[in-house]
Amino acid sequence: MNRLGFAALIVLATVAAFAVAGPVLWTIPPEATDAIHGLAGPSSVHPLGTDELGRDMLSRLLHGSRVTLLVGLAAMLAAIVIGVLVGAVAGFKGGWIDGALMRFTDAMLAVPAFFFILVVITVLGTGVGTLILVIGALSWMPVARVVYGETLRWKTAEFVVAAESLGVAGPRLLLRHILPQAIPSLIVSATLGVAFAILTESALSYLGLGVQPPLPSWGNMLQRAQLYVFTAPALAIYPGLAITIVVLAFNFLGDGLRDALDPRRRR
Amino acid sequence: MLFQVRHPFAIPALVIVGALLVSACTGAAQPGSSTSPSAQGAPVAGGTVTIPIGADPTLNPWSPNAFVESLFINRAIFEGLTKPGKDLAPAPDLAESWNTAADGLSWTFKLRSGVKWSDGNAFSADDVAFTFNDIVLKPDLGAQNRASYAAVKSVTVVDPNTVRFDLSRKFAALPSFLAYNSGILPKHILSSNPLTTASFNKGVPVSTGPFKVEKYTSGQSVSLVRNDNYFGPKPYLEKVVFTVVPDPNTQIAQALAGDVTIMILDNKAAVDRVKTANGLAVVSRPLVQYYWLALNQTDTRFTDVRVRQAFVHAIDRQAIIKSVESGYGSIANSPITPALAAYYDPSLASKYPYDQAKAKDLLAQAGWTPGPDGVLQKNGQPFKFTMDVGQRGVLEPVNALIQQDLKKVGVIAELNTMEWNAYIQKDVVRREYTATVNWWTYPSDPDVFPYYHSSAAGKGFNIPGYQDPKLDDLLVQGQSASDLDARKAVYKQLQAYTSETLPYLFLWYPQEIDVISTSLNGVPELGLRDAMHYLGEWWLAKK
Amino acid sequence: MIVFASALTFFFVNLAPGGPASIMRFDVSPEQREALIRLMGLDRPVPQRYIEWLAGALHGDLGTSLLTNEPVTGRIADRLPNTLTLAGSALLISIVLGIPIGVVQAVRRGKPIDHLLSLVSAIGLSVPVFWLGIVLILVFAVSLHVLPSAGVTSVSSDTFGDRLAHLVLPAIALATTILPTVARFTRSSMIEVLHEDYVRTATSKGLRPRTVMMRHALRNALIPVVSAIGALVPRLIGGTVVTEAVFGWPGMGRLALEAAQGRDYPLVTGLTVVVAAIAVVATLLVDLAYTRIDPRLRLA
Repeated sequence: MNRLGFAALIVLATVAAFAVAGPVLWTIPPEATDAIHGLAGPSSVHPLGTDELGRDMLSRLLHGSRVTLLVGLAAMLAAIVIGVLVGAVAGFKGGWIDGALMRFTDAMLAVPAFFFILVVITVLGTGVGTLILVIGALSWMPVARVVYGETLRWKTAEFVVAAESLGVAGPRLLLRHILPQAIPSLIVSATLGVAFAILTESALSYLGLGVQPPLPSWGNMLQRAQLYVFTAPALAIYPGLAITIVVLAFNFLGDGLRDALDPRRRR
Repeated sequence: MLFQVRHPFAIPALVIVGALLVSACTGAAQPGSSTSPSAQGAPVAGGTVTIPIGADPTLNPWSPNAFVESLFINRAIFEGLTKPGKDLAPAPDLAESWNTAADGLSWTFKLRSGVKWSDGNAFSADDVAFTFNDIVLKPDLGAQNRASYAAVKSVTVVDPNTVRFDLSRKFAALPSFLAYNSGILPKHILSSNPLTTASFNKGVPVSTGPFKVEKYTSGQSVSLVRNDNYFGPKPYLEKVVFTVVPDPNTQIAQALAGDVTIMILDNKAAVDRVKTANGLAVVSRPLVQYYWLALNQTDTRFTDVRVRQAFVHAIDRQAIIKSVESGYGSIANSPITPALAAYYDPSLASKYPYDQAKAKDLLAQAGWTPGPDGVLQKNGQPFKFTMDVGQRGVLEPVNALIQQDLKKVGVIAELNTMEWNAYIQKDVVRREYTATVNWWTYPSDPDVFPYYHSSAAGKGFNIPGYQDPKLDDLLVQGQSASDLDARKAVYKQLQAYTSETLPYLFLWYPQEIDVISTSLNGVPELGLRDAMHYLGEWWLAKK
Repeated sequence: MIVFASALTFFFVNLAPGGPASIMRFDVSPEQREALIRLMGLDRPVPQRYIEWLAGALHGDLGTSLLTNEPVTGRIADRLPNTLTLAGSALLISIVLGIPIGVVQAVRRGKPIDHLLSLVSAIGLSVPVFWLGIVLILVFAVSLHVLPSAGVTSVSSDTFGDRLAHLVLPAIALATTILPTVARFTRSSMIEVLHEDYVRTATSKGLRPRTVMMRHALRNALIPVVSAIGALVPRLIGGTVVTEAVFGWPGMGRLALEAAQGRDYPLVTGLTVVVAAIAVVATLLVDLAYTRIDPRLRLA
């Protein structure tokens, strides 16, 4: 993997460590208010200062990282599950199932997802679970394509045909022999998928449709902070920077992995 | 600079957000202070005033789709029989004078003569009768604000310049209510379809005010020009343009760029930045509005008045005003706001100081004692409930503060943030809630009957469902008292009584912050939406 | 497919909690609410309402907006040109800047300029659009006073130049969602092509590098780029929702948000139909562009 990808991996590992350990080590609760000391600058008690309600920014960023990463990773997993299912079944079964599934995939790709996210979230409400499913349900298509391609490529490979002739059943054949071949490409898609999901959550938060307060996410912190861009821009800088860095790292990692895992690109 | 770089990783951020810092230099002005634009000699004619609004307006005061953004234009172009005076008492508009019958069961209004609609047709008592009999009082149309006129049986044309409102019960507040979003509509235009004529509501309506609509561009702007058929003095301004700008920050950016003449500062957090801008003045105005916390009275935990009083002691309302209103507001202990100066009783302001010990004490008297985890309990049940939070305005941060304040006295409130539309259905239509914060805005009159009377419990505007015969009695007395002194006496009692019994937990009276170009003059010291009734008196100093 | 999408949306949005904004107000009494539900015909079953809507839709009538009582087609027609202008400009910026950036990167592969441009595009792709939008407003409208902050035009001076000035910031903000991808595709496609035999042959035949670039390499390199752009169009249109909200741009995205929040069932459905139709048309256009660039496809 290239140096940039490696650096991205280190950044992400650090962020993950903060997300896991941070809230344990930094014990100020993210919801504890102290309105009289709102919008305070950095101090020894609050290293990143406080927000408009006197809540500790560091604590909110740490807790927010958990929510944001959870939404990003879980939405990506949902997309992978749907995408693998659709792509593998279409590629493996062929025939009209293939036609129908891949046509559906193309249709979904052609649809401006954000318009539909609006409607779906309005209907289903803004729970974290809903968000994960909705973002996942609208971003599985590239995964399906990748898996479909790999399935087609490997289903006629000698070792697969051999396994088939030995009586290995369809689903098992897929799981044991074909899908593992797709794992490198899947990892790349997954990495980029997390970046997409995090950005989508922040955009939804801007419209009031993301993770709902009082649960902090970077997206909804940024949304509240907008009110203070004229007077306390630090509130917008921290979560905005956090989102940008993490998304950037996921993008670089995805690129790095692609270069490392895809022999055709290694030059 | 409020923001200081302490961390090396923050440096690159500054490249991206350097501009934030440029605009971050703020003066440390005191909240609550207000500067008024200085008078600039005699009024001169001409000029264009630009006012941002949040969404496309509906130009029909009785349409159920006329939301808050519609009020500006509707109050500027449509006239009612009365309008809010500069002291908020009802003042003549289309009616010159009015009086009530000896039995209090009817009011007669003498109309101004020689009034014409903006299309040149004559205005008459028929238009008034049409507006009420054929729109407001027609239950099938669902006209907005019709609940305010529940006591009106019908409107009779006595002669072309006189109308009589016949009532089913005494209604002392009628002239005040007629000043509140009750513009008269043209019968000759709307007789077939009064509330849903798109060419009127979303186009160029016919009206009687000093200005009329010139052009309505959906999603962009509505422009007004002088109404040459206006009965009063010719207005000074040449043109008034309302621009549709949904994002409150963008509105501020436009004001800072000099593209706005006057606006309501919805994002009060930015007030310090706006104060430093050249050519802009910041003023605060009282509103007939108060925030409250409703505790559903079907939940037996909240029927004990000591619990309600304890909650008010537990909530640091001054801190709420400071952090979510930038200091622009005052503590509320009754539904009558300081804006209604003739009725407001200032002696109640300090009734419930922020006092956690007192709150715990009152809760203990009500049987709530701390459990092992610090959470109060009674009969083994912890004091826990859910507060529904509607996603609008300042409600989210306010709930976060209240939740933490209650936690300090051992009461656990979980917050359930909901999209506004779904929230209204759950909490208001279905009343499936335990506790919720919201606000009431009402006509400039202390008659708060609809929000407190037991007949409105569980379905009308009595959100907590509080029922109390003594309060009912006071509310009816207020509607029946005919002269001002008698009304003052009743509403003083009502303030004292509601502050003691707390049908709603009163939180605070917000103030409005208006941003005004220093060249704009003649704007009365009212909330901006009320000041729209006086648009004909505004004028721009020549630059 | 569009009929299916409309049915799905119609039934789905009717499941949403709440109701049209006019009845979901704090200050509406229960009897008013019932009267309005009857007036809007919402007391009738959803399938019946859908069939009526569909019957109208097949004749080009997408129903009446519950929020404004105006025809849905009219409301969409008011906003559609604005969205297309915004998305079209963003697309134009992305192509006009993205392709040259990608070419420069490919030609100067591994040089500092390549790395710098890669980094900038990666950042562009990683910044939340609305955040960038706010920063742009603060810099160019508030601090520098050089560009307007919102809207499509000033009310007082509705000229072409004025409209163009209003377009600049939102178009740039929106373009960042796809420009980096365009540049990246151009770069990798160009690199691939530069290694192809015919390019090397052309170069070794002594043709001027510039001619080789333009006539041979770029043309072939553009083929995958065009299909990539086609795939980006849905993302671009989706991106208008947030961009329009930040810049007060009166387009379809803002309308969709209002319609969804106000539970304007016919308007939401109408918008879905139109957006789906746009997606279909855009895909066709890309296919067309594809055949024009790639001569092999013209034969097929």
